[in-house]
Amino acid sequence: MISEAEMQALVGHCFPGGHYEVAHWENHLLTEATGCEPLPDGLVHPVHLFHVPIAGVGVSIAELFALAGADSDASVTIDYYDWEFAAPLREDVSYRMTGGVTEHERKRIGDGPFVDSLSFAIELFDGEAFVARSTFRWHFWRFDP
Amino acid sequence: MRVAVGDALPAWSLDRVSPERMRTVAAILRDPNPVHWDRAFTTERGLEGKVVNQSPVNVGYVVNMLHAWAGPGCLRRLRVEFPAPVFDEDQVTAGGRVSAITSGDAETLAECEVWLDRQDGTRAVAGIAWVAIPDQASSSAS
Repeated sequence: MISEAEMQALVGHCFPGGHYEVAHWENHLLTEATGCEPLPDGLVHPVHLFHVPIAGVGVSIAELFALAGADSDASVTIDYYDWEFAAPLREDVSYRMTGGVTEHERKRIGDGPFVDSLSFAIELFDGEAFVARSTFRWHFWRFDP
Repeated sequence: MRVAVGDALPAWSLDRVSPERMRTVAAILRDPNPVHWDRAFTTERGLEGKVVNQSPVNVGYVVNMLHAWAGPGCLRRLRVEFPAPVFDEDQVTAGGRVSAITSGDAETLAECEVWLDRQDGTRAVAGIAWVAIPDQASSSAS
């Protein structure tokens, strides 16, 4: 199991950063997957504030799992999402993103597994204008000692 | 649009959570977790072959409820937790209630308790949303 010190050392880790543009097809398919029609005027459905910030800072969900030494792809659960919008996201706008790991906490659940809770925060900008922030915390369950 | 503290938000329902859509979402999100698409895996894990809906999509249902109420682009902030999963073939209903109203220079915000429930009443999403209210002329205060 990855040590508590190694996990704690992730706090302050910055992702590479980069840009992401939501294409019409992506917005259409993901919006449809929520059970609603595409939004008007090129508005991007807010559900994109899960994966767009992750991709936009130059990582993938799998790489976040690996960063925290996840036991498996199925050993990660979600604690919370906190999505903030200064403005709605729009299709075909190239948003600049920066972010990283902000907090870590390790707990043991009774006599059972340990869980490492890791918090991430990523901000989206249109030029220099702040547009949105995604803050989320995932639980990495450690079943192997 | 007039809004007051205590107002219930109109419910938004989905009759069937589709496993096909979960596969599409897994591909778009590049989410490797097999609980969203591998029934053999979920059977091994005691989920009776059910696949688990992606949590962002569960949040998306709540957003749809807010959009239907206050219009697309209304969302300013949404903080949610996930007390229970949603499975394929579930029926889900999003709901909410206005807990506070604040008026600023630029816009009026409704703070709303929001949730998503499965057909058996199990709460799958719980949280707080801050929503911009169009043309709020009410004198309601938080």
